Amino acid sequence: MIKLSSQPEIIYLQPKNHEPTLKFWEGLKNRKLLAPRCGDCGEIFFPPRGFCPKCLSENIEWVELSGKGKLHSWTEIHYLTPKPYILGVIDLAEGIGRMISRIEAEHKELKIDMPMKVDFIDVSDKLTLFIWRPDKVDSKHQKSESF
Amino acid sequence: MSRRVAIIGYGCLKIGKYGSEVSENELSIRAIKLALEDAGISKEDVNGLVTTPNYLLTLGLQLSVVSEYLRISPRVAAEIACGGIAGGLALKHAMNEIALGHADIVVCYGSVKESIRFKNIALVEPGMGIEIYDPTTQPYAVAGVIWAYACSGRRYMYEYGATEEHFAAACVRNRNNARHNPWAAFTTPITIEDVLKSPILCSPLKLLDCSAARDGAAAVVLASEKKARKITDTPIYIVGVGEHHDNSSFIPTDRCDKPITSFVAAREAAQRALKMAKVSVDDIDVAELYAPFSPQELMLPEDIGWFKKGEMVKAIMDGSTEIGGKIPINTDGGLLSRGHPAMVTPIYETISIVRQLRGESGKVQVDGAEIGLIHCEGGMLNNCIVFIFRRGD
Repeated sequence: MIKLSSQPEIIYLQPKNHEPTLKFWEGLKNRKLLAPRCGDCGEIFFPPRGFCPKCLSENIEWVELSGKGKLHSWTEIHYLTPKPYILGVIDLAEGIGRMISRIEAEHKELKIDMPMKVDFIDVSDKLTLFIWRPDKVDSKHQKSESF
Repeated sequence: MSRRVAIIGYGCLKIGKYGSEVSENELSIRAIKLALEDAGISKEDVNGLVTTPNYLLTLGLQLSVVSEYLRISPRVAAEIACGGIAGGLALKHAMNEIALGHADIVVCYGSVKESIRFKNIALVEPGMGIEIYDPTTQPYAVAGVIWAYACSGRRYMYEYGATEEHFAAACVRNRNNARHNPWAAFTTPITIEDVLKSPILCSPLKLLDCSAARDGAAAVVLASEKKARKITDTPIYIVGVGEHHDNSSFIPTDRCDKPITSFVAAREAAQRALKMAKVSVDDIDVAELYAPFSPQELMLPEDIGWFKKGEMVKAIMDGSTEIGGKIPINTDGGLLSRGHPAMVTPIYETISIVRQLRGESGKVQVDGAEIGLIHCEGGMLNNCIVFIFRRGD
């Protein structure tokens, strides 16, 4: 369990960084949201895994996602935390899957299906995590995002 | 199925907190003894034991302890795990073993002391059990499983115009029923206002919208039709069973197009069970649905087929799911008020329906109930199993 010195009220859990997903976590350190692409069938998928879920190939490449999405739903968590925080479900703009993420916003700002964008936070020297926040600037171009 | 299978007896303990002075196995024996007495048979008649995990051992050896305790040597035995549907799968396995002729009388039981393990609400220790989530979800999965159901509930509010009052109405319906259930953990009357004012856990879910992890033990006795006819005048036949496991775990993350306000596993499992039983959903007289949190009390009756999507917003308020309504649901209090010893909950659901079909439910009896349904789920409705029971003659 990691408690940020700058945000002592937020608890993050150390994820199990197994080998097939290391690239994903390295990408976050470099401020990039990466997803695996199958080198054989071309399937781009999320969450990252060692085998392509479509054809089970181990020939995995990595591509950068737009970091844009929509807020599928959210909840404000009030227990096991000294300070409430928001957890949300993001539909990735590329349509390949969803991310579960902390949402950096006041709950009054949030509307289901609103445009969202990714951001990055350094939790420790070794771990950078993604968070998502409302995308106030780029809401008109949400649907045109692609690779 | 080569042989028909009936439930001929049940026994269970009041759901609550049993503490460390009594073991899970001791609780199992208490429930099994009650079930054997209800069936009117001796333990020597039993030739199968099927159970669910009780967290004591991951090897399934609790069956050996219970067998030795009972001084019986079953021909078939199994401990079966698959999240919250474990009790349902155990029942199915017991049924199959009899149907195939491997055993004639099988006791399906479970006992668990969740209140010690989980304190109040299932999986609330920070970081406990985070392996159930994908690594990308793990950093934020501090708060057990409630967040997923809360997100499902909020999305349902957005899509169908439900409010927190509608969810609270399901809690009140369940509590009103639980007051007449001798085994329910929570029987103090509550109002919609009480639910709304209870502490927020994961918005929109408050304390009273959530099931509480509690201890419990329950057993049912299954028998072949031939044996059942000799033993009892009121056999309750298992006439349908359907199962479905969606390729998702909690919130589906592998794709964007799967709804979290409707659950394919519940729909498919129900359809298969109804088809096997050769009945329509409107033939069901009474149902027990596995909803660990109040929003899913509205979604499940839609998925199983009594209502179209969104119709439960009205139906939860107009009595449609109460006794005397279109389909009485959770007449013994459901998970929210009966209490939720997860590994045993499906057996408690079975007992509730058996009592209804035998006409033993007292103040919550559904008049003339002949066909009943139980549903149970694992993950967040990713795994579902549905049974249909019918009163024999």
